[in-house]
Amino acid sequence: MATDALHSAHDHIHPAPEGFISKYVFSIDHKVIAIQYFMTGFLFFGIAGLLAELVRIQLLVPKGLIMSSSVYNGVYTLHGSAMVWMVIIPLVTGAFGNFVMPLQIGARDVAFPWLNMVSFWIFPVAGAILFYSALIGAPDAGWTEYPPISLQGPPGTTMWCVAIFLIGISSTMTGLNFMVTIIKMRAPGMTWTRMPLFTWATYATALMNMVATVALSAALAALFMERVFGVPFYDPAHGGSPVLWQHMFWFYSHPAVYIMILPAFGIVSEVLPTFSRKPIFGYKMIAFSSMAIALLGFAVWAHHMFTSGMAPWLQLPFMIITMVIAVPTGVKIFSWTATLWGGRIHFSAAMLFATAFIATFTFGGLTGFFLASVPADLHEHGTYFVVGHFHYVLFGGSVMGIMAGLYYWWPKATGRLMSEKLGKLHFWMTFIGMNGTFLPMHWLGLQGMPRRYATYETFAHAYPGAQLWNDVATYSSFIMALGLPLVIFNMIWSLKHGKRAGANPWGARTLEWMIASPPPYYNFKHIPQVLGLPYDFSEPLPYRNLDHKTDPYPAPSPATLSPGPLTVGAGV
Amino acid sequence: MAIAGLADHDAVAARYKSVDPVYEQTRDMRLLGFVFFLLSDVVLFSMFIFAYLYLRSSVPNWPPITASGHRLPRFDTAFAAWNSIVLFGSGVTMHFAMENWKHLNREKFNFWLVSTIGLGIAFLLGQAYEYHNAAISWAGSTMGASFFTLTGMHGFHVFLGVLYLVVLLVQANRGVYTPSKYFGLTAGTLYWHFVDVIWVALFYLFYLM
Repeated sequence: MATDALHSAHDHIHPAPEGFISKYVFSIDHKVIAIQYFMTGFLFFGIAGLLAELVRIQLLVPKGLIMSSSVYNGVYTLHGSAMVWMVIIPLVTGAFGNFVMPLQIGARDVAFPWLNMVSFWIFPVAGAILFYSALIGAPDAGWTEYPPISLQGPPGTTMWCVAIFLIGISSTMTGLNFMVTIIKMRAPGMTWTRMPLFTWATYATALMNMVATVALSAALAALFMERVFGVPFYDPAHGGSPVLWQHMFWFYSHPAVYIMILPAFGIVSEVLPTFSRKPIFGYKMIAFSSMAIALLGFAVWAHHMFTSGMAPWLQLPFMIITMVIAVPTGVKIFSWTATLWGGRIHFSAAMLFATAFIATFTFGGLTGFFLASVPADLHEHGTYFVVGHFHYVLFGGSVMGIMAGLYYWWPKATGRLMSEKLGKLHFWMTFIGMNGTFLPMHWLGLQGMPRRYATYETFAHAYPGAQLWNDVATYSSFIMALGLPLVIFNMIWSLKHGKRAGANPWGARTLEWMIASPPPYYNFKHIPQVLGLPYDFSEPLPYRNLDHKTDPYPAPSPATLSPGPLTVGAGV
Repeated sequence: MAIAGLADHDAVAARYKSVDPVYEQTRDMRLLGFVFFLLSDVVLFSMFIFAYLYLRSSVPNWPPITASGHRLPRFDTAFAAWNSIVLFGSGVTMHFAMENWKHLNREKFNFWLVSTIGLGIAFLLGQAYEYHNAAISWAGSTMGASFFTLTGMHGFHVFLGVLYLVVLLVQANRGVYTPSKYFGLTAGTLYWHFVDVIWVALFYLFYLM
């Protein structure tokens, strides 16, 4: 009797919504929400990318080409804020996490679909408020908005607080939703150590989103209250402390770095074995190192504050823990490399981005090691070395990962393959452009070029190569930027002219490839049973009870069905 | 505790388990989600408590000395202690309400839940009185900033909690919950105890420390 009851719980399929509004606008389907996140995120990516180009054009000549210092301050502040909160975090969690994770664990949706919809709809509102702030006096203290400058900043700074607070609430809710989904809704047989690596990464990310983002909300609420009601938290003139903001801000924003990179790690961990036709090397090490990074990530925030007048005895532990994070990260990099070793590598567009990711991210990680070291950081802090470093991590890491994931899962989401030729062209433009843009920043920084300055005439006197290398960076950034319309064209083109993908165009083994492309509303007609890891490319498939006709096993009778996710959840 | 009919824990557990699997899974997920929500709320309070301790430890004297040279007064511990007893008492009555619901004593459930709501309102009135008579202001000093922000946030949580309990009272009497399906009441109880526990920390930090 119990089995029958559980079986019916399993096959509890809700009918798909009919109307346009409930289907495409206020949808509670995780796949539609993911596409909404993706489109909104890409729109903001375009805007924030244009702002970056304005910054680069300004720096073509030492005295600044197109704008005043105050406008410049607003431009880079909005660029940074939008890229972090309105582009990368929503894309890696909201878009990829939402689309892929429930499919990978064999669930019909996330745990709280309605909450998921609310999370999404906060996002465009927050983005609109952020960009609207430019009209009433753009925030101008950089994306970190350190007081006391941010306390004296233009009216838009208050809008900035509201926008980031809102997107923070959205992130927290998404994190909570994903945590519960992964803990409670995995298909029968999918133990923790059979979970796909992207899902592992999403789990670690969700944990950080849920816990750390609230710290940012608190810091922003205090900044808002101080700006609007004059309540002293940060203003030293009234007994407050600007360093307090830095502690609260970085207690979130350092984990946020891992929120942005861990899902990209997950994407790469899916793409590499698929296109090497080889099981992932060190599955457990990759999975657990994500968790190690997530936990250690909470104990390193003050490495951003070595020059802020923090107590010297505190610097050493923060330096050491920061360097320790390189260990789980290195574990991943070696595991990926070992996955490639001896594999039958097929360089599709997704694979090109994923392999390039290993190189560019590692480079960004290594310069991070320089910055973690207190004596070196004292020299490098506030220079273009830092800008070069975090763009290698965020562009060379997160964005390359996003692009790999885009080419990889696009056929699953739309049923059509993107053009591989255009994809490879996009890759080479992006790869050459990004290295040309961000590599010179390292030696510009080491020579002493300060970040966030609208002009560099003084620096150009001290370092003759200043303009040359800034121009190299700017022209390279044009190449990189032109890749964006190319990939957008490719996406739109593929919807009509792309080859039909079929269920599993890449021959991958994770669960999302075992159903039709695009997946039906209910994802899985029968919840599959998982028998093993999804990275073994031999036959038979590690699943039972698949809807798809490639299922090598006969459909089991209800009596042999596993009790379902309830018991799996209970074991956790 | 001498409450009639509360001995049959096995019957309570049996009723709790007797639900259909769809409801059971939903309840599991909601419970976990609610606990996670409370966890993130703990982080919110912790950050402001961190800010308070940070600001407090960055000046030589506490209560701080103002620019005009006089020292700010301490808060009225005795009044706050009475008010705390009211709030902690409401935690006890909430527990009785929940236990009586589980043991099917509908009338006692109503009595204790209404008592909880009353004590919650009494606490809020006490806090309003305290705010009204406070010697310091929100914007005047870091002491005022952290005190009014933290206790205000807590008071807002109590306020939302009172509203939530009223909704639960109405729902319970309209038959929304059954002897085996009462997740809303569980969540309300958890939330109310959570608000209590936060107050323990705030009471120590502002009145005793």
